[in-house]
Amino acid sequence: MAGNATSRVQVAPERFSLVKYDAGEIAAVVVELAELIGLSNPISVFVDETTPLAKMSAEVESMSSDAPIVLRLESGALEDTRHLTNFSSERARQRLGRVMLRARDRLRPDFADAPPDLELTNPQNSAWDVYCGGRLERLGIEVPTQRFRYDFRNRFGFSDEVDAVFDRLWASDDLGWHDLPTAT
Amino acid sequence: MRQFFPVEDLARDDRFVQTNMAERMADTRTAVDLKKTAKSRGASNRLTPDRHDASDAARSLMHGIMVGEIQALEGAGRTAHDFDAGDGSEGTIPFELKLDMARQAWDEARHVEISAKLSDWMGTEIGQFQENTVLFEAACSNDPVLRLAGVNRALEGLAIDVFTQMKEFGQLADDPFLEFCEDWMLADEVTHVKMGSDWLRRVTENDPDRRAKALEFQQVVDKLFSFGGARGESEESPIGLARRFRELAGFTDDEVDTIAEMDHEALEERKAAVRLAQESAGV
Repeated sequence: MAGNATSRVQVAPERFSLVKYDAGEIAAVVVELAELIGLSNPISVFVDETTPLAKMSAEVESMSSDAPIVLRLESGALEDTRHLTNFSSERARQRLGRVMLRARDRLRPDFADAPPDLELTNPQNSAWDVYCGGRLERLGIEVPTQRFRYDFRNRFGFSDEVDAVFDRLWASDDLGWHDLPTAT
Repeated sequence: MRQFFPVEDLARDDRFVQTNMAERMADTRTAVDLKKTAKSRGASNRLTPDRHDASDAARSLMHGIMVGEIQALEGAGRTAHDFDAGDGSEGTIPFELKLDMARQAWDEARHVEISAKLSDWMGTEIGQFQENTVLFEAACSNDPVLRLAGVNRALEGLAIDVFTQMKEFGQLADDPFLEFCEDWMLADEVTHVKMGSDWLRRVTENDPDRRAKALEFQQVVDKLFSFGGARGESEESPIGLARRFRELAGFTDDEVDTIAEMDHEALEERKAAVRLAQESAGV
């Protein structure tokens, strides 16, 4: 595991073989985001470099502010899509920011009922992503709104009503798990 | 105006980053779950809306379609321009074939515009993904008959498979534009393949060796366009082989069977290469 100066963030593997990523660079993005989001817990990041897919998950041991957080990412989540196998700090900020906001949500009692990330349905995933996307944008991270909107439409339907739900979710800052929409 | 344009000289602005097959195949990661352990990789890799990464995968494919259409436009346009009108021998092509290529270029230009608008609708920026120039490379032969085999039958055949997949995606997701647009473009692609099949037959009517060479070239290109098994009848392939529409375009059952076998070979070869590379890297 590669640690950063504060030793709060660990990244594995330390050296990548199949992609041109640097564990220290990933750790630096996580540290920057943790400060921005207000996350003081120790964070371990595991990157699966055998796949170009981009699934991510966050696991939080308990709701305490020193409970370890584990982020698991497939390598595509951090990839520069213009130069495959290369790291993109812009994409890393968007993707890690999203999964770290989820981790922060999980530290709240009103997210206690949320299933583990890998067990979320596609609509649950999409709704939570939209809630994270809007908050990330307000934190100053550049996020492509239309991509979130298209994903949300794919999961909830292509209609004005669904777009209105998206807009409300995108603008929200203080929701609980049961405030997120579920597919009918 | 200059004839026989090499792939390196294609006109692109700085939004585009180009790659080729050698670079793509050098990436030894795979979406296929070789160890059958990862939760994110289900039994099927088929591009359908129920995949967790459906929107991202659809965006990437749509961008691939858009740059593919640009290259198809360039390929058809070059064929209309590069060869003098004649009887089809000694580097000439019948004038009517030039007209068909011009019509195809017009269709492809429309497809580029449609695909760019669909990309925008799906949240993709132009140039967001790299452009594989392998499609245009199939349009660089000095023999127009090889271009017909490579572009109109292999490339446009691939387009039939891809458009069918995206049309079904749009249908299942209930996307009001995607299914409609893909359906219209699919109809054009079927026509382009049919044009290629008809012209290839007519131009080589009295030259069986040339026809055999062209069909052999098509097989080479078809295997390349399988992209290591990304297209095929296996559930591990994101893009299926659109048998019905290929039939409408003039492919025989035997020809489609041959393509399916080559796709399967390409997939197995790719899996073996990736497995070996990952074992060597110790991951």
